[in-house]
Order: sequence, then C-alpha cells, then structure tokens
Amino acid sequence: MGKLNYLTKEGFRNLKVNKLMSFASVTVLFSCLMLVGIAFMLLVNINSFISNIEAENVIMAFVNDEAIDLEVKKVGIDLEKINNVASVERIGKEEAYKDILSELDGDYENLKTYLENLDENPLPEAFKITVSDMDSFDQVVREVNGVTNVIRVRENSELARQLSDLRNSVTYISVGIILLLLIVSLFIISNTIKVTMFSRRLEISIMKSVGATNAFIRWPFMIEGVVIGAVSGLLATGAVWLINELALKELLQSFMVVGAGTSVDFYKYLPWLALIFVFVGVFTGVFGSVTSMSKYLKERKFVELDEE
Amino acid sequence: MIEFNNVSKKYDSADSYALKDINIKIEKGEFVFVVGSSGAGKSTFLKLMMREEVASSGCITVDDINLNTIKKRDIPKFRRRLGIVFQDFRLIPNMTVFDNVAFAMRVIGTNEKKIRRRVPYVLSLMGLNEKARKLPKELSGGEQQRVALARALANNADIIIADEPTGNVDPQMSYEIVDMLMRLNEAGTTVIMVTHEHSLVRCFDKRVIILDKGNVVADGGTLVREAATSHINAASEIANEYVVPPDEDYTAYIGETEAVEVAVEVPNEVQAEEITVEGGEN
Repeated sequence: MGKLNYLTKEGFRNLKVNKLMSFASVTVLFSCLMLVGIAFMLLVNINSFISNIEAENVIMAFVNDEAIDLEVKKVGIDLEKINNVASVERIGKEEAYKDILSELDGDYENLKTYLENLDENPLPEAFKITVSDMDSFDQVVREVNGVTNVIRVRENSELARQLSDLRNSVTYISVGIILLLLIVSLFIISNTIKVTMFSRRLEISIMKSVGATNAFIRWPFMIEGVVIGAVSGLLATGAVWLINELALKELLQSFMVVGAGTSVDFYKYLPWLALIFVFVGVFTGVFGSVTSMSKYLKERKFVELDEE
Repeated sequence: MIEFNNVSKKYDSADSYALKDINIKIEKGEFVFVVGSSGAGKSTFLKLMMREEVASSGCITVDDINLNTIKKRDIPKFRRRLGIVFQDFRLIPNMTVFDNVAFAMRVIGTNEKKIRRRVPYVLSLMGLNEKARKLPKELSGGEQQRVALARALANNADIIIADEPTGNVDPQMSYEIVDMLMRLNEAGTTVIMVTHEHSLVRCFDKRVIILDKGNVVADGGTLVREAATSHINAASEIANEYVVPPDEDYTAYIGETEAVEVAVEVPNEVQAEEITVEGGEN
C-alpha cells in the first residue's frame, strides 16, 4: 500500500515537475478529442435534421369512394401490416375538406367559394403513411399500391432516395473523420509520450541502474497517462458543449428553416460524451505510456544515457 | 565473487569482437582498476557485469548467479546488489541531495521510515550532511560525485562499480574519490573502478586489469601493469593514448585528506550496516 501511495504521488509529482510537457500532452489530447466531439455532434445533428425531413416525406394512399367505412378501416389495418411502416394515420374526408378550406384563404378565395358551394365533399378517404427505413421506401409504395381499395398513391420517392443517400454519405464521412482523428490522436500522444520519456531518461536510467522493476518504472507514467487523459477528456467535453451552445446550435438552426424540428438535445449526449472522452483519454494515455515505455525499457541501456 | 570464464562479446552491428575470450576472477572484497583506451572493451565489460548485455559465449557469474541464464524478472533484484557510479554523476537536477539519494531507495520500494534513517547515514559517510537540502547545481563537481557515491551506497550494495568516476572532477577531488572508494573497500565492499587515468592508478597499490582491443593484456599489481604498459607502448601507437602520463601528478595529494571520524547518530538497525570511514569534507 505504501509503495502504491509513493508511486501514485510520484505520478502527480512528475506532472507538476514536468509542467510544460504535461501541458503539451493535455493540449494535444484535448484538441484531438474536441475535434472528434465536434465531428460527432455534427453527425448527430445532421442525422437528426435528415430524419426530420424524412418524417415529412410521407406516402398518401387514397381510398376508393365506393368503399364503406368497414372497408376503409380494413385498408388501415392492411397498411399497418406492411414492413417498415412507422405509422398510419387516417385522414377522414370531412377533416381533409376542412383543412383545404382553411388553407384557401386570401388569394384562393374564388376556389374556396366554389368548393363550399359543392353539394358533396369531393375528397376521398385517405391514409398518411410514414416510413421507418427510407431505403425501403419504394418497396413500401409498391405494397401500398397492392392494398385492396387503395385507388391512388402519392409519394416522392426521388426525395426519399436523395435523403437516404445524403444520410449514408454523412455517416461514412463523419465516421471516417472521427476514426482518422482518433488515429492521429494516438499517433500524436504516443509521440508526446516518447518525448516525455526522452526528457526523463535520466530518472529512468537511474531507476534501472539501482534495480527498480519495469513495473515500478511504468506505474508513475501510467498515473500521468490516466490524469492527462481524464483531464483532457473532461476539458474536451466542456469545449464541445461550449461550441455546441455558441456556434453549432446557431448554424444548425439556420438549416432547420429548410427542414423541420430543432437541433438535437446536447444534454442527452453529454454523459455519454464525457464518459467516452474520459475513457478514450485514459485509454490513450495509458496505452501510449505502456507501449512507448515497454519499447523504451527494452531498447535503452542505462549505461548509454549520454550517447544520444 | 565475480567470474568471467572464456567470455566473448560481439555486437550484431559490429564486425569484430568487443571482448574476446576473457578470463577474470574478482574475489569478494577486492579493489580492481580496469584500464583501457577508448574501444578497449571497458564499457562492454561493465555492461556484461551489470547484465545490460549478455555474453555471446562463455559464462559470467556474480556470487553464484549465472548472468547468462538469470531470468529477466530477477535482473532488477540482482542489480540491487550493485552500486553504480557514473562519470556524469546522473543526479536529478530538481531533487535535493537528500531526495537524490532517497530516490534510489524509493524506486525499489523501501519504506519511508527506513529511508529517513539510512539517507542521513550514507550522506554522513560522504561528509555531505550539511548539503542535504541543496540542489545538485549548488554543489561542486566533487561533491556531486560524492552524492552519486552516497546513492550507490544507499541500498547497501555488495559491489561498487564506478565508471570513470573521476572524469568530471578536479585532480584533488579525483584523488579523494578514489580514496573514499578505497575506504569503502576496506570495510568489505568489492570495488571495480574503470578509468583511463594511469597516473591516478599508480597512486594506489591495487590490482589493475588492462584491456586492449577486447583482450586482457595485463592483470595484476602495479609492477605487472608497468610492464604491460611499456610492452603495449612498444607494440602499438594506439596504446599510447592511455599511457599518456604527463597528466596530473596525483602523488601530491597523497596524505592530504584529513582523517575525520564520522560522527553521526546511527539508529540501531543501521549500526550493522555501518562502515567506518575516514576522511570527509574538506
């Protein structure tokens, strides 16, 4: 226990003594994690934005005028049975009629008057169908067309296809960027640790010469890695939150004019983001320390300290 | 006892042998100078003894531990029996003298209570008690080397290996450092000192091993060494490098170090490890 205390204290002391190096490591890891966070939040927001637009891209199925109420209900049940149908909403002919009349105020006053003067409601019973997976939009349309008493289907498969493509592209690009940034982070961190290790070669050479075990030499470095990783992770979470509040939200809000809904709720992702960042930070710190250290301990001879 | 039996060492990157068919036996409690020019094989000899390198052939044993077959996990434990002193002192600049010495004990897991007793004791042996709170940069070269020596003693080493310990200090301090090693040796510690300063070696009547191009060309007392150096002088111009002697006349310092009894309060547990040392701070 005493040893563990000493080693842990030593890790913190090293952080303090090597302020500049610790600061450099935190800055590098923090920057990488922050970029990953921004890329992630953009991905989440763009996905949500696309989902909002997709939700508006519905299939309208119109029912045969001759169908009695029971048959119309049967159409609703058949539609719900179709795969990838998220929701089916019946739009009654009366309801649709009222909606149309309320939309025809102002410039279309003549048309409104004409419709109001008709003897009977000319609109058919209809169903509004939302699709859960846009990739199977065309399949759903085909199946809706096949339902008995459905006489016409209105849809925009071209928009569905474009949205689906857009979502896939955004996902691939974002995941690619995130992976690239993580690899860059690992590379930079392992180099930073190598530099730290080199700057501490004197201590390491003394440790080896007096018979310290490799585990004993590694431990303070691991503590440093954990602290640097955790601090960087928390700072990056804070920075992503700040960027999301100040810039990302505004930027996405301007997109939302085109589509529907608002930007995603950051606080829903905050605990996960913090957890993942701290984990990635700690993992990178420890992994970087251990691998660089093992290589260093294996290759270096303490006698040759000044033969660099 | 340290024993090299037909030991050869060839590095993968080199064409020739760094050490070739060496046979050396160093008894417990012996004082040995290892002399040789650059490239003679001194460093390889030390590395093999510290188990930094493994012999290409032959067998090295230190107190019955076979360094060819020692398990990796046992190497740190083996090194705790050695006290290593380097030419460049290797003191950690941002640690005080006390912490530099304590560092050697802390990194092998010694508890603080023992450290607080042992460090003042070894510092007093080196006449450095007054300097315990100083940083290395506030000390002279000689004092820094004494701190390094104190650190080598901190873990109660059986064998002191000094790699050119006088290389960075003035001649008077060089003499004093060897004198101090001599006193540690008198207390029973085996001392192996690598140096290229022949004139310094001449001041002490101790065993000298001369290495040249990976071979032991002489091994014995002062007379053997003198004979060997003249032989090499005649045989090889390169050998002149380490016969250079118009360097410092160390004999001027003989007897100059005051005989000071070290008076420190030593806790009972440490008494057993106590080494009576004469000399100290000047």
